[in-house]
Amino acid sequence: MRNFGYDEEGWSGTQKEHRIWQRILGYSASHSPGLLLAVVLSLLVTGATLALPRLMQMGIDDYITATTLGVGERVHGLGVIALIYGILVVVVFLTGFLQIVILERIGQSIMHTIRQDLFSHLLKLDLAFFNKQPVGRLVTRLTNDIQNMHEMFTSVLVTVFNDFLKLAGILVLLFLMNFRLALLLSLFVPAAIAITVVFSRLARQKFRAIRQQLVRLNSFLQESIFGLRVIQLFGRQADNYGRYVSLSQEFVQRTLAQIRLFGTFMPLTELMSSMAIAMIVWYGGGEIIRQELTLGEFVAFLSYMRLFFQPLRELSQKYSIVQSALASAERIFDLLDTTMQIRSPEKPAQPKQIKGSITFANVSFGYNKDEVILRDISLDIAPGETVAVVGSTGAGKSTLINLLVRFYDPLQGRVLLDGIDVREFTLQDLRSNIGVVMQDVFILPDTLLANIVLETGIGREKVMEIIRDTGMEAFVNGLPDGLDTVIGEGSLELSAGEKQLLCFARVLCRDPAVLVLDEATSSIDTASENILEHAVAASFKDRTSLVIAHRLSTIRRADRIIVMDGGRIKEQGTHGELMALQGLYYNLVQLDLYQDGNGPAGP
Amino acid sequence: MKTLHKTVDDAPAARRRLGPVLAMIRPIFARYALRLALGFATLVGVDFLQLIIPRLLKTAVDSLAAGSATGKSLAGISGLILAAAVGAALLRFCWRYLIIGFSRLLERDIRNRIYSHVLKMDRSFFEKRTSGDIMAHISNDLQAVQMACGIGLVSAVDALVMSVAAISFMAYINPQLTLLALLPMPFLAVSTLFLTGRLHHRFNIVQEQFSLLTEFVRSTLVSIRLVKAYTMENMQRKVSDRLGKKYVRSNIRVAMIHGLLFPVAALVGNLGMLLVLYYGGRFAIEGRISLGDFVAFITYLYMLVWPMMAIGWVANLTQRGLTSLQRIHELTTSIPRLKDLADSSSPEVIDPWFRLQNLTFSYQSSSRPALQDLTMELRGGIYGITGRTGSGKSTLCQLLARLYPVPDGCLFFGSRDVNTLSLDTVRSRVAYVGQEAILFSDTIAENIAYGKPGATAGEIEAAAQKAAIHNEILDFPKGYGTTVGERGVTLSGGQRQRLALARALITDRSVLIIDDALAALDVETEHQVLRSIVSRQDRNLILIVSQRVKLLSETDRIFILEKGRLQDSGIHGELLARNSLYRTMNEKQARESVGRHVPVGQRPV
Repeated sequence: MRNFGYDEEGWSGTQKEHRIWQRILGYSASHSPGLLLAVVLSLLVTGATLALPRLMQMGIDDYITATTLGVGERVHGLGVIALIYGILVVVVFLTGFLQIVILERIGQSIMHTIRQDLFSHLLKLDLAFFNKQPVGRLVTRLTNDIQNMHEMFTSVLVTVFNDFLKLAGILVLLFLMNFRLALLLSLFVPAAIAITVVFSRLARQKFRAIRQQLVRLNSFLQESIFGLRVIQLFGRQADNYGRYVSLSQEFVQRTLAQIRLFGTFMPLTELMSSMAIAMIVWYGGGEIIRQELTLGEFVAFLSYMRLFFQPLRELSQKYSIVQSALASAERIFDLLDTTMQIRSPEKPAQPKQIKGSITFANVSFGYNKDEVILRDISLDIAPGETVAVVGSTGAGKSTLINLLVRFYDPLQGRVLLDGIDVREFTLQDLRSNIGVVMQDVFILPDTLLANIVLETGIGREKVMEIIRDTGMEAFVNGLPDGLDTVIGEGSLELSAGEKQLLCFARVLCRDPAVLVLDEATSSIDTASENILEHAVAASFKDRTSLVIAHRLSTIRRADRIIVMDGGRIKEQGTHGELMALQGLYYNLVQLDLYQDGNGPAGP
Repeated sequence: MKTLHKTVDDAPAARRRLGPVLAMIRPIFARYALRLALGFATLVGVDFLQLIIPRLLKTAVDSLAAGSATGKSLAGISGLILAAAVGAALLRFCWRYLIIGFSRLLERDIRNRIYSHVLKMDRSFFEKRTSGDIMAHISNDLQAVQMACGIGLVSAVDALVMSVAAISFMAYINPQLTLLALLPMPFLAVSTLFLTGRLHHRFNIVQEQFSLLTEFVRSTLVSIRLVKAYTMENMQRKVSDRLGKKYVRSNIRVAMIHGLLFPVAALVGNLGMLLVLYYGGRFAIEGRISLGDFVAFITYLYMLVWPMMAIGWVANLTQRGLTSLQRIHELTTSIPRLKDLADSSSPEVIDPWFRLQNLTFSYQSSSRPALQDLTMELRGGIYGITGRTGSGKSTLCQLLARLYPVPDGCLFFGSRDVNTLSLDTVRSRVAYVGQEAILFSDTIAENIAYGKPGATAGEIEAAAQKAAIHNEILDFPKGYGTTVGERGVTLSGGQRQRLALARALITDRSVLIIDDALAALDVETEHQVLRSIVSRQDRNLILIVSQRVKLLSETDRIFILEKGRLQDSGIHGELLARNSLYRTMNEKQARESVGRHVPVGQRPV
């Protein structure tokens, strides 16, 4: 269900095939002892499997039909052969099992490594990258595409080796027994390969068509379930049912087409196998009459034919697994090759203690080249100062924050922390020195305590102390199990206000030199609102703070207010100064005072 | 793990109520009876031809051993083998198309049935299960049923025919040797049954871990900005590593079983062969069977390996198919709590008024009533509803839109108890805009016209204009033809809400309920939108849920809900004078709204 969006785009050719193989083999290198063992096991399995019909033949020729020997001797000889046969059977069983488990372990470990590599790489990529990529596609890379590659590792890489070994071994044995008959039978190999290639190409088309339709069918269903209320409220059930039925009819048509294709091709290998038998009877029988072949060899030929067609039967399946795995590998490696603009410098600045002065020096920025968001912004914030930024949507308030924490780099100008360009810090250092409280928060499905502590390793006592000091006790005690309440999707969902409180708790536990706060715009329940005011006050103390403010209580608490409009700083000063100025800020406040219960207001 | 336990718990129930469950697919089997009969006939035909080949081989070997074979006789035999093989290939196509095709048709029929049932379900149905759950069940269960009725059925019949025939041929050659050769076979069937059962169980665990992993990376990537801002990268990497390793471990556990399955089959097959080699060889030496018999015997034995494996496999497929069918049956027979009247004796003309008489309502999942003893009169006019989160505002709106069942005698529409009216009678007169703006992945025009099929372009644009979204739509690359959703533009929350509003406005229904549906807009825009709706007065009843006092002040009457009860009602001025909650809201909002999305420079008039 999660792989709706999974469509096989096929080969795009951005990566050379041999390069892909090189990289895959690179990942396999660290498992070479295991792979070597698998190869040895595979030799054992193949050898033992091929020896079985040979033993059978020896039993027939040397003992069963050897009328010159005495009955007792013949039975005894047969017994010896049967014993060897039995031992080999057990060997085949054990080695076969061992090989499968070893391969699975190797394949899984490699996939895990690739997944971790890819995931770590994604975490490092620029935000700009994520703006362009649908998350569903990235998730598919991490899950389905890697799964796809895994198929190749476990069910193909070594088994293909196995199969080729087996085919070659059989052909050698057949040639040794009877050259001409073997030559005739080897004609089936190119035939089987040709059929396989044609079949897998056609099958892939059919599968793709089916998968596309299934995606449509399932997304329609999902949308219907999701929007069921809308369908019912507008009374459109019949219409939706009609559309679903036609989608589902098209799906059946496509599966039937696939069944027809399979019905045509699947019996072909069986047919070839029977043709080979007919050939052995006709030509091999003739060879016996001509005394060129023994009866035992004749029977062995028949047995080997069965073994011979087994790998050919699975060839088409494996061929398409490899094709699809390579396509997946290409997509994965493409993603791994994506470079990032925002990265930690080679020789980062190593700050001892960040004091917290922030400077924007002639900064200009736009998310697109033709759309300027910030124009030549210059701003100095002293250590410990609290600056509130106000302005309308699109004025560029949050962009200031994005540049400060280096989600993006400015097009022109510089952003400095303690007089050092933010680009000179490692991202880790920079961001851990800037505590961010956003409108939203990333919650791990875990307890509140774990969500506050995260990776810092702070003790419970310390957390309690901070929570007490900042008046957040009411928030924690309001939850059913206090600090041990499990939160997140599927458990207790926090309200917008509570989320911000959690965020404050996180930041306060880390005690960063700089606090960046993006105040919630949405309405917050009164209970959280009051606690929030305390938390905000506590956080501003002894800390440089940059706040996108929406609440008058927060704005009043600021040392300085910056009014932004159209990507520029238009006014700055204290509340009193700005009110006296009677400019933009004054208008903002006036607008609200006017609406403060003096009757209806209109635009 | 949850689903696993459920499967186990379901098992006795499945046995108890197998009758009605099977009754669900019986008519489908009946409809395609001819197709199935033909399919099985061709399947048996294939088996027959497959069994002939060893007989022909035996003749050839015997004649070769006796020295009586000639080039001509050999050519004749190989010609027959060839003919049988070609015939088998043709018949194989037929059964595949007929029987596997049938299973797909069956799947389609059940799929459509499920969908049509889901359309009838009410909200309480989704209180118990998430839509993801339903989706997963539908696709997995449908597949299980399809597999059981397709390849499962084929394998069962095939295995039965082949094993009976092969065993009889073998017994015909030599009963004693047959018994010896079959000695290891039951072990194969039992171990396959056991192993595939374990495999299924362990595979479920793998699937579960796979979804955990998927969900984890998805949630991380969706919130990448937050992850970066809070420098949680290392944590996320660690968690991913932990989940990934767990996934690897459970995969290996699957491989241990999977890795046994085929080696065990080969082991058993080879053990049988060993017995035949030794004892069969002795019999041949002692002259009790011919060499040709010996060779044919080996061929028949090979033929038995697959049916024996199939027995275990089919048993599992059937069991899984039945459990799934049971679940589908449960789904398609679940009765919505919100019952519709079969014969709607609905009056043509009905006053679009609501009256609530001591209405109490609880959600199934909760013991505390969401609404308690509510008595209200909603005649023509504009009403505002407000209250804290969880006070029951939305519940009330949804009851009015007939999304949840209400007890008799509590809710009246016009002068009739809503339970005496068909759902459609009420719903077709109510335009309800909820908090969550749900749109379909279709064009913007189609989304708006969803409320009124066949609406003209003019009507659509008029509705969009009323919802103050027209200009923004024109800014999209394809205007009204722009597709919404993953394949098209991504809309902001506010845009979605206004589109949902336009969809409701186009219906021209007499009751309009706006359930806090414009919260994502800034105060000014929300106000402007609502003003344009309200001023037109072409509706009899408008109900607006809002937290914003400024908006509420313009309604004819305001209801304040508190913990599901009606705390107070009156006009703005009255409430301001006497209701402390309302007064606090008012003061707070006046104080707090500085800087909140107010267009700078826009001076009040």
